[in-house]
Amino acid sequence: MWERTLQDLIRGLRANKTDERKFIQQAIEEIRREVRGKDMELKAGAILKMTFLDMLGYDLTWANFNIIEVMSSQKYHLKTIGYLAASQSFSEHTDVLMLTTNLLKKDLSSTPADVALALNGLSHFVTPDLARDLTQELNAMLNHSRAHIRKRVVLALFKVIQQHPDALPYCLPRLKEKLEDPDASVVSSTVNLFCELSRRNPQDFLILAPPLFHILTTSSNNWMLIKVIKLFGAISPFEPRLVKKLQDPITDLIQTTSAISLLYECVHTCIVGGMLEGTSGLPLARLCVTKLSGFLENDDQNLKFIAMMAMVKIVPIRPDLVAEHQAVILNSLDDFDISIRMRALDLISSMVTSHNAQFLVQQLLSHLVKASEKSETLPSASESLSRAVVAAPNTAPTFTTAYRLEVATRVIDMCSRNMYENVRDFDWYLSVLLDLIYVANADVASIVREQLMDVVIRVKACRAYAVKLMTKLLDDDALVLGANDPTKCTGVLWAAAWICGEYCDDLSDPRYALMRLVIPSIALLPADIISIYLQSAVKVLSRWLIGLSEEWSDEQLPQVKSIVATVLEGFQRFVSHADVEVQER
Amino acid sequence: MIHAVFIFNTSGTPRLTKFYSPLKSPDLTTTIPQKIFKLVSSRPQGACNFLDVPDLDLTSELNINRSDNRLCIVYRNYATLYFVFVVDGAESELGMLDLIQVFVESLDRAFKNVCELDLVFHFDEVHAILAEIIQGGLVLETNVGEISRMVEEGYKARKASYAAANPLSLSGGVMGGMSRGGNSNVSTPLSSFQSPIGWLTERIAGLNAR
Repeated sequence: MWERTLQDLIRGLRANKTDERKFIQQAIEEIRREVRGKDMELKAGAILKMTFLDMLGYDLTWANFNIIEVMSSQKYHLKTIGYLAASQSFSEHTDVLMLTTNLLKKDLSSTPADVALALNGLSHFVTPDLARDLTQELNAMLNHSRAHIRKRVVLALFKVIQQHPDALPYCLPRLKEKLEDPDASVVSSTVNLFCELSRRNPQDFLILAPPLFHILTTSSNNWMLIKVIKLFGAISPFEPRLVKKLQDPITDLIQTTSAISLLYECVHTCIVGGMLEGTSGLPLARLCVTKLSGFLENDDQNLKFIAMMAMVKIVPIRPDLVAEHQAVILNSLDDFDISIRMRALDLISSMVTSHNAQFLVQQLLSHLVKASEKSETLPSASESLSRAVVAAPNTAPTFTTAYRLEVATRVIDMCSRNMYENVRDFDWYLSVLLDLIYVANADVASIVREQLMDVVIRVKACRAYAVKLMTKLLDDDALVLGANDPTKCTGVLWAAAWICGEYCDDLSDPRYALMRLVIPSIALLPADIISIYLQSAVKVLSRWLIGLSEEWSDEQLPQVKSIVATVLEGFQRFVSHADVEVQER
Repeated sequence: MIHAVFIFNTSGTPRLTKFYSPLKSPDLTTTIPQKIFKLVSSRPQGACNFLDVPDLDLTSELNINRSDNRLCIVYRNYATLYFVFVVDGAESELGMLDLIQVFVESLDRAFKNVCELDLVFHFDEVHAILAEIIQGGLVLETNVGEISRMVEEGYKARKASYAAANPLSLSGGVMGGMSRGGNSNVSTPLSSFQSPIGWLTERIAGLNAR
């Protein structure tokens, strides 16, 4: 006969690791019986056990009504169990919550311990109806004698206001008073509340500026300061005079604080409030960037992370200042910590301008090369890249495919932004795109294809070069054979074939291209690519024939015949292809 | 605000799960901690304590207004446990790191050199302690002394209430007291993470506790 307590359940679980499921099913059966009884202690014990099992994934909601029974017990230790279960199980959609209104009202006017329980529980499961009914009561409780309760009421109001927005104007006067509460932690909670609320409608909280300013200049509690600064960051865009007033205290804080969390918030608010712009903002901006770069070179990864996040925010306004620290940022790309690498990527992609685009992109590409597990021979058009391949060490950490895809996407984004405003030399960009295919080792086919098409269609001047590159691609057997391997990016052959077909005027050797377009192994390619191949083959053939016809001579006839025959032979193979498109071609 | 708090051990078993935002479906209460455990346990030593979660897509699972921007995971590893906070842009990341430390110290004071088994056998106490630190996803109190005082008050009240209801009982039954639940294994105390003074000094000097 076992004693049915939480302790026993846990001990039993640990003893029965092999048939855990069966043990738990038995335990749940036991619990079901216990909650139906009259004994409140037993009921509460059962609910507690079920709450524990809920953490392991077993549904608790069937006992909702019983939970309310336990919550309404007058005994504090049982009530605690009820509220705990409620906060884990109830949501705003739980229908038994309708039964709780009176219970909550009773608890809210009971002993401070009960009040605390009720407020905490309320924050988990308040519904619009409950919120409406309890607003008045909660507003009155803002003046409760105990600071602990006042704190809790303030925070509970957050959820209440979320469910019942009219509660805010009703409670705002008293809440404003709380900013001057004698107890510092009540003030802190109030600031916290306003900070959360201001994320939705910042303008409504402009009236709080005076008391908040007072707190900003007098408090030394970092927690509170962080929230106050965040709050100012949210409201200052709506009041330019406020920005001027804030400049001094914030500069002060930046210079004196040793807490980087606070420093980050100050920088963020400066940016949001436009304090770093123009000539007047330059000294402040320089101060921020200098402080941040100090943290960038710190050994502590956390500080690096935060410093980078702040730099990302500064870059749009003061790119020149950030560019001074380019070397450090590029070094961080090789960091073993992916969070840092992502931040560095963010930074680099926002730092790009038409001057440094080539340099930054080369850096990213060589970074990708190091990222590939094997170094393959690259028929790439970029010389600096081949240099990097030769020098690539084998000690780089293995990067995930998702990360490599991210890097490749960033490269393309950096170049294609704002209608390619950062790209001066499109031939170079085309070669970059090709490099991505070979270097990325990730599925970049579709985005590269899009880019290739886009650039070639728009930019006439690079078409000749494009066709040259595309023939190289067509030439690459590895790409054709690797049709099933997404890392080989065979999809780009679609673009290659299309470009050759469309701009076949620029083909230096149409016969060779034609041959490549009809070789047998293209049967391995996916159907849509095959259809493009066939289409292009026809275009190239016709173009070539036209060219020939301009200077016709009889001895070319057998040549033409043989070529046409090969092409026809190539086509024959696909007449019975599964895909309709291919057949049609 | 803070959207969720998890404690799980190095094998992935959850020791505490607390959500402060509504979930789209109930089975997410186990799948989200599992996903996070996978991410967190594969972190190299010495990496920073923050993780973005774009691929986790927690925003939809947690029913959050997408305009509220990114979610960040802040985690710390103490002995055999991972403490994980899921927060949004309204919270300062380094501040959250401090808060985890505050949480662990409060646990330490309440359980006297807390270890994993304390969390297992007294999970309701752990919830009570967490409730003195965070309410409804917002930070309630950051001072360890104040938190411990309230925890102590609550504990005494529960004990008194239980004693009143069961005048003949010894310390056992539903309450179970603050004892170690009768385990005989020797478990690693969490207090290898340093005293508050030592930790603060290290922080100012720019080093990390772990």
